[in-house]
Amino acid sequence: MTEAEVEDKRITLAEAAKMVNDGDGLFWGGFGYQRAPIAFAHELVRQKKRNLTVYTCGSEVDLEIMAGAGVATRYEIAFSAIEALGLSYNIRRRVSEGKLQVEDYTNLAMAMRFLGGALNVPFMPLRSMMGTDMVNLKRYRGDDKLKVIDCPFTGDKICLVPSLQPDYSIVHVQRVDKLGNAQIDGIVGEDLEGARCGKKLIVLAEELIDTSEIRTRPSQTKIPAMYVDHVVILPYIAHPMMCHDYYDYDLEHLMMFHKMTQTEEGWQEYLDNFILGVDNHYGYLNLVGWENLHKLRATKPWGY
Amino acid sequence: MVEYTKTEFLIACASSHVKDGEMVFGGTGMPLLAALLAKETHAPRSNLISEAGFIDARPREVPLSVADTRYYYGCSASIGLIETLGFLLQAGRIDVGFLGAAQIDEYGNLNTSYIGPYEAPKVKLPGSGGGNDIASSAKRLIIMMSHDKRKFLKKLDYMTSPGYLDGPGGREKWSLVGGGPEIVITDMCQMDFDSATKKIRLKSVHPGFTVQDVQENVMFDLIIPDDVPTTDEPTQEQLDIMRKLDPNGIYLGKGG
Repeated sequence: MTEAEVEDKRITLAEAAKMVNDGDGLFWGGFGYQRAPIAFAHELVRQKKRNLTVYTCGSEVDLEIMAGAGVATRYEIAFSAIEALGLSYNIRRRVSEGKLQVEDYTNLAMAMRFLGGALNVPFMPLRSMMGTDMVNLKRYRGDDKLKVIDCPFTGDKICLVPSLQPDYSIVHVQRVDKLGNAQIDGIVGEDLEGARCGKKLIVLAEELIDTSEIRTRPSQTKIPAMYVDHVVILPYIAHPMMCHDYYDYDLEHLMMFHKMTQTEEGWQEYLDNFILGVDNHYGYLNLVGWENLHKLRATKPWGY
Repeated sequence: MVEYTKTEFLIACASSHVKDGEMVFGGTGMPLLAALLAKETHAPRSNLISEAGFIDARPREVPLSVADTRYYYGCSASIGLIETLGFLLQAGRIDVGFLGAAQIDEYGNLNTSYIGPYEAPKVKLPGSGGGNDIASSAKRLIIMMSHDKRKFLKKLDYMTSPGYLDGPGGREKWSLVGGGPEIVITDMCQMDFDSATKKIRLKSVHPGFTVQDVQENVMFDLIIPDDVPTTDEPTQEQLDIMRKLDPNGIYLGKGG
């Protein structure tokens, strides 16, 4: 069977970020140190976006960057820290200054909100958060943060969380074809639901492959092309975080980042050097150094 | 006499509470080392799960993140968050979860979110992550904390994760799936919970500490049983395995 002429969804990182309007809501892909769309966060900062709301379970360096640079003013998240390295200093400062509002959910609650959005139902029930301040205390969402009801079927208490259909979903994957068939290796975190809940989906990928290659391993296609609006291909999108089977985290850079964010001055220096001081993602990678990047490449069979 | 650090003691102690064949949420840090140590010693058939989606994991190096690829190689399934926190945890299939906290109250409720008032927090902590999900739905909870008077409070600044909430019947009132905290392990003592009042109770003190030391370092009335034994020390085997699991001292620290 011959392939019909197909749409090419590839655009540049700058074009993709330009579509995001001030005040938009974004589902933010990746989980913990894995497949973080750092390059997209950098570009939002360079384009001086403002008042974004970011929805995710637990992103780390990217949330620090967007809070620190004043790109995002609202987070609906479950977690903010650099895990083993420690607290998120930028977020901590912006919250204390009143410049960032965090509406607190749990990981499962956020994943259910994305699932609800993807399924096009208004809410999802879950059994977490009940009895705690996560139910009692609310910020800008007020009573729309969640509801605890008596289940109409069993009478048991159950927590309802509102579904999310944000303006954009931003997801970083290993491989994609130009149609948008996106393959993810390793864990998916909450990216299956998250990719499908946004009004538009931008997929960032490390590698472009042909559709015939996609068809040799269809089980790895976690996001079929029909969901995907735009595709951005770039190397080392997650640096200094990791991308399974492609590259490890850059612990030295990560520790430097974490140390510099301890003070506002240190963070501003990082921001000026590594994000505002370069024209684009390749400028950033040049600054990090290709020799360093090469050392991070994953070793088979470990995947890191 | 075996030589060990406070951290090593905590990890060995926590590991002893994992039973063979159990489904365990490992996380990162000290809990992960405790779960791995249990697997290498008395609980070889325990199933280590990371909430990011790794199931039946056997990392050859310690992961820095629950989503670290170090969790991947050797695991038997690599899926996602709805799988681990939903199908496994919320469905009641997880036996043991480990949690740490910045603050704990006498019912084992935990704060990992804010220090200071919610309206104007002094410090924003990491938040729940999967912590509240685990505390709500795991059959048993093992809590690991460094012992500091300012952490053992009558009233939390913010209650992130449920222990026994306001006492007997608290969890049932909210139809929580899991059983609640079983044990709190600090670098000074072990504490469990009185089955009638659901209040925290001293269980054992670590070598070098007294009951009075513990009492002076909590800000609520701790139940003290008549007999408070001394906690078992880690064995040389446990220490050797731990140090082999974390040769660079990422979580064990260096000299700690």
